[in-house]
Amino acid sequence: MTREVEDPHGSAFSRRAFLKGASVAGIAGATASAATAAGKTLLGRRKPEVFGPGEHEIQLKINGKQRLVKVEPRTTLLDALRERLDLTGAKQICDRGACGGCTVLLDGEPVNSCLTLAMDAQGHELTTVESLSDGDKSHPLLQNFVACDAMQCGFCTPGMVMSSYACLQKRGKPDRAQIRHDLAGNICRCGTYGRIFAAIERTAQAGGR
Amino acid sequence: MKGEVELKLGFGSHTETRKVEVPDGDAPPWDLNTRFTVVGTDTDRLDGMQKASGRAKYTYDINLPGMLYGLIVRSTIARGKLTALELEEARKMPGVRAVIAIKEAGKKVRFVGDEIAAIAASSIDLARDAAEKVGITYEAEDHNVDYLQAQGAPVVDDSGSVADDWTAHEKVDGALGKADVVHTGTYRTEVQTHSSLESHGQVARWDGDDLEVWSSSQATFGHRGELAAAMQARGYKTGSVVVHAEFVGGGFGSKFSAGVEGLACCALAREAQAPVKLMLNRFEEHTCTGNRPAVLIQIRGGVQKDGKLVAWDWRSFGGCGHNGGGGGAAQPDHYLGGIDQRRDHKDLATDTDPARPMRAPGHPQGYFGAELFLDELAMKAGIDPLELRQKNDKQVIRSEQWRMGADKFGWQKARNPKPGSPMPGDDPRFLRGCGLASARWGGMGGGQSGCTCRIHADGTVETRNGAQDIGTGMKTVMAVLTAEELGIAPAMVKATMGHTNDPSGPGSGGSTTTPSLAPTVRHAAWLARLELGKLVAKQLGVPAETVKFAGGKVGPGAPMLSWDDACKLIGPNPIETQGKRFPNYKDAAFNNGVCGAQFAEVLVDTWTGIVKVTRMLAVQDCGVVLLKKLAESQVLGAMIQGMSYALHEQRLLDRRSGRMLNGDFNNYKIAGPADMPEMECIMLSVANGHTNTGAVGLGEPPSVAAPAAIANAVFNAIGVPVRHLPITPDKVLVALSQRKGA
Repeated sequence: MTREVEDPHGSAFSRRAFLKGASVAGIAGATASAATAAGKTLLGRRKPEVFGPGEHEIQLKINGKQRLVKVEPRTTLLDALRERLDLTGAKQICDRGACGGCTVLLDGEPVNSCLTLAMDAQGHELTTVESLSDGDKSHPLLQNFVACDAMQCGFCTPGMVMSSYACLQKRGKPDRAQIRHDLAGNICRCGTYGRIFAAIERTAQAGGR
Repeated sequence: MKGEVELKLGFGSHTETRKVEVPDGDAPPWDLNTRFTVVGTDTDRLDGMQKASGRAKYTYDINLPGMLYGLIVRSTIARGKLTALELEEARKMPGVRAVIAIKEAGKKVRFVGDEIAAIAASSIDLARDAAEKVGITYEAEDHNVDYLQAQGAPVVDDSGSVADDWTAHEKVDGALGKADVVHTGTYRTEVQTHSSLESHGQVARWDGDDLEVWSSSQATFGHRGELAAAMQARGYKTGSVVVHAEFVGGGFGSKFSAGVEGLACCALAREAQAPVKLMLNRFEEHTCTGNRPAVLIQIRGGVQKDGKLVAWDWRSFGGCGHNGGGGGAAQPDHYLGGIDQRRDHKDLATDTDPARPMRAPGHPQGYFGAELFLDELAMKAGIDPLELRQKNDKQVIRSEQWRMGADKFGWQKARNPKPGSPMPGDDPRFLRGCGLASARWGGMGGGQSGCTCRIHADGTVETRNGAQDIGTGMKTVMAVLTAEELGIAPAMVKATMGHTNDPSGPGSGGSTTTPSLAPTVRHAAWLARLELGKLVAKQLGVPAETVKFAGGKVGPGAPMLSWDDACKLIGPNPIETQGKRFPNYKDAAFNNGVCGAQFAEVLVDTWTGIVKVTRMLAVQDCGVVLLKKLAESQVLGAMIQGMSYALHEQRLLDRRSGRMLNGDFNNYKIAGPADMPEMECIMLSVANGHTNTGAVGLGEPPSVAAPAAIANAVFNAIGVPVRHLPITPDKVLVALSQRKGA
């Protein structure tokens, strides 16, 4: 790691210094293009904050409430929600963004929480399936999931609910093609898709979002 | 209840009256004269809101104070010997609390993913870090993961047919000689994984010598016995073992055993003196927890001009895991009664994980081969495929299903009259066609089980059984049966399942949970009703046998007590009854099992080879339909799973490494929202009479016909059979190139 490397743009450049500058977070790393590395941005402006290895306390805004949670830099948002905050509605099924079981909303947009680092979720509004019910009160979408029997084993259901909720928020009265499109990232092994479509349509028809 | 009763059984215009011997003590059996109030209606799933809201706690969701995270270190080679196992480095890693050997040095390694060691650490990430420090040395041996390369495998030629000749068989050959049309075909399927969305796994907690386990299980009592025996065998003093499985994220046949992961989880928890959660990941699910094995089927058969089958010659080769079993494929016996036939099957072992039962084991693959063969035979003989079935299958329920289904689906109009050519009015790029297939299953239930029913003075009712509801809706079945018996609304009944401290029940396999448990649950409710009836009779001064339960009221007609007032007579301790399962009544069943018929329509894109299923219809019976909406859900789901099997699913193994190449959900495709056709399901309720409820199993039968119906629809669309599942675009393009005049 201490090896001096040739800078592609001509000036001698320490790899260690670069890494030190770039270790703020994944975001900085992602923008560290050759052009940025050649310039001064990462090398001088502000003292970078280094996280990890080991745990670090962060603040997440979940369902309108600020929550403090200790995570490693590599901890996913899904693991932080489930294992640290006991919000177990979101499920890990494929662990690589292929099933939608871990869907939560980040600033209103559905994301796979298994592909989102907990640290990267700081400063964003997070919405989980737990926000759609409180005691005996529940969102009309949930009631229609029950009325249409849009579930069997139920393991994909919270992810389906969140993608459906995002669809309704975005489109109001989605047509069947839009519903298929918005749910295309979610899979169900029991085969409940048609009934989920019906639950969304029924909610939309009643003016629920 | 005792002695002989007359039951009116059957359905629609197909009814008969039978004299049935009912065992002493059983509840009076239901028949066609029974007027139901909640059975057979669209009752909501009682735990639906828990599931939809994310509050349902699956095994995977159990978080206990001080809980550790476990994982299994697995073999990276397919076959050989473990020569050394070094665990000390792993034990020194941060956060690690327990490391155990699963396989000792000197033992055989049997497949990629075979269990070697297990680790528990304070987070799953730290456990993964430690796993990298486990030192494993192997002596690798040559392996084979392809069943068609195994010893004893048939030689398959370039066209996909088995190259060697069948040995002669006097009867079958003789019968074929008399047939007007003779046909031969070779059919293949690939490995399908269960792909339950909740992985296999457990959470284990010891309290001294007592063990409490949350298990993603489709057999709570089986897991309990298995884990107790394994812990004792490991030398742990073991007191009580309790298993919980209140919510289970799918099983489909792969979760009957607690598995090595279950034993490892409990052992780690004991060693670490802390609770441990050990859930498998998706790669492990695809490679280590069983599958529906691949099969190669060759069929010879012949018909007379009128469509009557006269001979059936079948041989199949099943791909299996290292244990070499479970590769058989089922045949549609209902077409084959009384004809000359031969049936051969051979299982071929490979260096992979063993097959496990998967939803209707052997059936979707066997029926795919058999039903596509029949359509090919029908085409050769110039007979409509539906007529061929009707000619050879006189089963009264399925005959009605063929009639209802063909009518509803518009069979005659939907058939492509010129397979391989566009239907009139269609874009010539797309070829349309439709197909059908049959189903058959047993699922009569039986065995021993128990159920506790309680009626409390505050009017609440409980019904409890310790088996599991894996998503079929069994909890709701329990509530509905109890509500029917007591004349109250299902929502007033609290049904609890999934705790082995409650009365025993079956594993959810063979479509037997409902037919096994329903009579027990009803018996418990009926006994409770008798008890409450006595109290009400005493209160009102009327004979107990005049007390009726209906519409939330209890009494002889006039006066009637409200449910709440009746329950106030109970006192501080609830009425508590124990239901039992009487054997199935002898010679009583209207049908020993269930039937089923399915129809599918496809659109084949001749440019890309992509098959789009546009419509599907199922007509399905399951004895007395207890919950209409939930039964339909199960049928529709099975059709989707069948479509997924027909078009997409295939486990790809690298022959050189023995490793699965698509061990995830990115590359192992299962049908998703964008693939959905228009779907419909018609439930045909049949008063079956073999128990006090007459329910027969439903989980498996609707998954039998769908792949075959789709394969037949593709055949009708393009005029060439695709004899190898899944029907992927590459195979369709090859088939299209073989069209006449292509």
